[in-house]
Amino acid sequence: MTSVAPPAPGRELSNPPSDGISNLRFSNHSDHLLVSSWDKSVRLYDASANALRGEFLHGGPVLDCCFHDDSSGFSASADHTVRRLLFSSNKEDILGRHDAPVRCVEYSYAAGQLITGSWDKTLKCWDPRGASGQDRTLVGTYPQPERVYSLSLVGNRLVVATAGRHVNVYDLRNMSQPEQRRESSLKYQTRCVRCYPNGTGYALSSVEGRVAMEFFDLSEASQAKKYAFKCHRKSEAGRDIVYPVNAIAFHPVYGTFATGGCDGYVNVWDGNNKKRLYQYSKYPTSIAALSFSRDGRLLAVASSYTYEEGDKPHEPDAIYVRSVNEIEVKPKPKVYPNPPA
Amino acid sequence: MGKKKKRTSSKVWCYYCDREFEDEKILVQHQKAKHFKCHVCHKKLSTAGGMIIHVLQVHKESVTKVPNAKPSRESTDIEIYGMQGIPPDVLAAHYGEEEDDAPSKVAKVDIPSTSLGGVVPGSSGIGYPQPTLSTMQPMGGVGYSYNSAVPVPPAAWAVPPRSHPWYQQYPAVSFPPPPPLGYAQQPLFPVQNMRPPLPSTTSPALQQPSQINPPGLPIFNPAPVSQPLFPVVGSNNMATQSSPFSAPTLSTSILSSSPTEVKGSIDAHSGANTSVTGNYQALSIPGGPLINSHSYASGPNTGGPSIGPPPVIANKATATEPATNEVYLVWDDEAMSMEERRMSLMKYQVHDETSQMSSIDAAIDKRILESRLAGRMAF
Repeated sequence: MTSVAPPAPGRELSNPPSDGISNLRFSNHSDHLLVSSWDKSVRLYDASANALRGEFLHGGPVLDCCFHDDSSGFSASADHTVRRLLFSSNKEDILGRHDAPVRCVEYSYAAGQLITGSWDKTLKCWDPRGASGQDRTLVGTYPQPERVYSLSLVGNRLVVATAGRHVNVYDLRNMSQPEQRRESSLKYQTRCVRCYPNGTGYALSSVEGRVAMEFFDLSEASQAKKYAFKCHRKSEAGRDIVYPVNAIAFHPVYGTFATGGCDGYVNVWDGNNKKRLYQYSKYPTSIAALSFSRDGRLLAVASSYTYEEGDKPHEPDAIYVRSVNEIEVKPKPKVYPNPPA
Repeated sequence: MGKKKKRTSSKVWCYYCDREFEDEKILVQHQKAKHFKCHVCHKKLSTAGGMIIHVLQVHKESVTKVPNAKPSRESTDIEIYGMQGIPPDVLAAHYGEEEDDAPSKVAKVDIPSTSLGGVVPGSSGIGYPQPTLSTMQPMGGVGYSYNSAVPVPPAAWAVPPRSHPWYQQYPAVSFPPPPPLGYAQQPLFPVQNMRPPLPSTTSPALQQPSQINPPGLPIFNPAPVSQPLFPVVGSNNMATQSSPFSAPTLSTSILSSSPTEVKGSIDAHSGANTSVTGNYQALSIPGGPLINSHSYASGPNTGGPSIGPPPVIANKATATEPATNEVYLVWDDEAMSMEERRMSLMKYQVHDETSQMSSIDAAIDKRILESRLAGRMAF
């Protein structure tokens, strides 16, 4: 059942959500895939078996989800709640709330805490080990300059991207204030931010078909390495159509990354060598989310219209799980005998 | 040659802002997005008058000028749709002007040569438009220091149908085939032959893909938007990817000076990849030597600081974006994200009206306020 031929978009998951997909994530422990949707549900799939294993319904569209371990996960909903989901019992409880839709959720293994970002312009940290109820679980609330649009964690670092192109970098060990307050180097609204698996920096994408590669180290030498590139654009009829880059996903093994845009394409890039490695054939509609499995052999692609052109008829929302070939994601170093580290 | 000067009848243009378009359908889309769009709820109406009535009835506000229009064209009394409704005097003036424009525009064009300097061996006055039409040089990037990674993408340029004279009318100017292509740039926007930036009033952006075919010079195919600075390795589409994209040069030279966003930076050409790549093989690239000298960002101006001036409205051709082509942003609302806008749709309103509605309303109000305060695009 594994269709591996490059032209095929991958195997389509059965029982997809009935409305747009906001995010999808592979587990760190298995090939389970957690999918959050605008149809107010969070679904758990076994991607290899192509089976739905669980479903949770919330009070509003679910904008993000993440795993805790293979038995539980968390979700961020537009009904302002942050929920914990227990897979085996199919039960969920509310960990806490924000004052506006919760846009992002990430679990930090390093800190043992859950971090959520909301359009209420705050970041909140929660300790999920406590019983539920905000007073028991909320560790701290950290104001942000603007509505939080995207979050990413690596090691002890947290990167928060907000409206107005602000970017805050925190050290999870000391959240009292950001370690760095930055501004996106792209001139347009930030869409997604993802840290490099090696912890040296992050990639940030905007609505203007561009991705910036940034580094945490503020030294001259490191900052000289940063750059940005254009992508997800199409040129026709004398004009350039520029699409938002909605998703970025790093390959856990090679450190290369895939980007997905409203143009329906997924591109795989080698950030060190500044090359594009591969482009998958076009998906039916915008790419809303991407995720590599823990071993990097599978790539889940959410082909789900993201309303960039308003409410209009669109292709059905679908999730494709494709097997990843080495040639698509492995960096091809230049001529040196040893590839750059 | 004895080609007759052609009026811009082959290209339509917008009465409100004088921009030119390939066909009327795109012109109408442009008008709807730029001139007939409600600034409050972003609904696109079909005419300026319709938009005004909508704003009045729905948002109770009076609109007196057509948004994004040139000062003399802001009147709301004139009913324009596409090319229909343009008063005859304005119509005539537009065409008449285009002829006068050319010579003056030629003189004005200024190509930052710094970055190109080293790259273009021998071509005289890189891109310096000569005062006379006849010596146009196929220089890319009017006003942009586009150092594309691949200096010579001649391969990328297919020959457009000859029958398309520049609407600018340069009667078959025959361009002396520039020396080694002289293009240091593979402009993202193939500026073919440095033509006087564009006819009439369109902003410096060269829009025209079609060009006169200089004898012996490959014609640029407007489509390829370049040579991905991120050359496609692994050639999923390209059979023989070689020469120009010498990786080593790219990585080292890229971004030597300006950090972050190098203008004209790596352009990953996504969608149309196949077509582009096909083109690459077409010509052998004489520009071998150019590649190495392609110093990106070596000059101070690679399009200006990447952080700094607030984002300019993308659809206007600006100095920050080598916009020979018009740049059309699929999502141009800086004040709100796609998810926020989607959330405001009726179908997502939660029945629990208390929290949901108030937050949605708050989000909408915030957006309205911000867009008014921020003048819509300046962040």
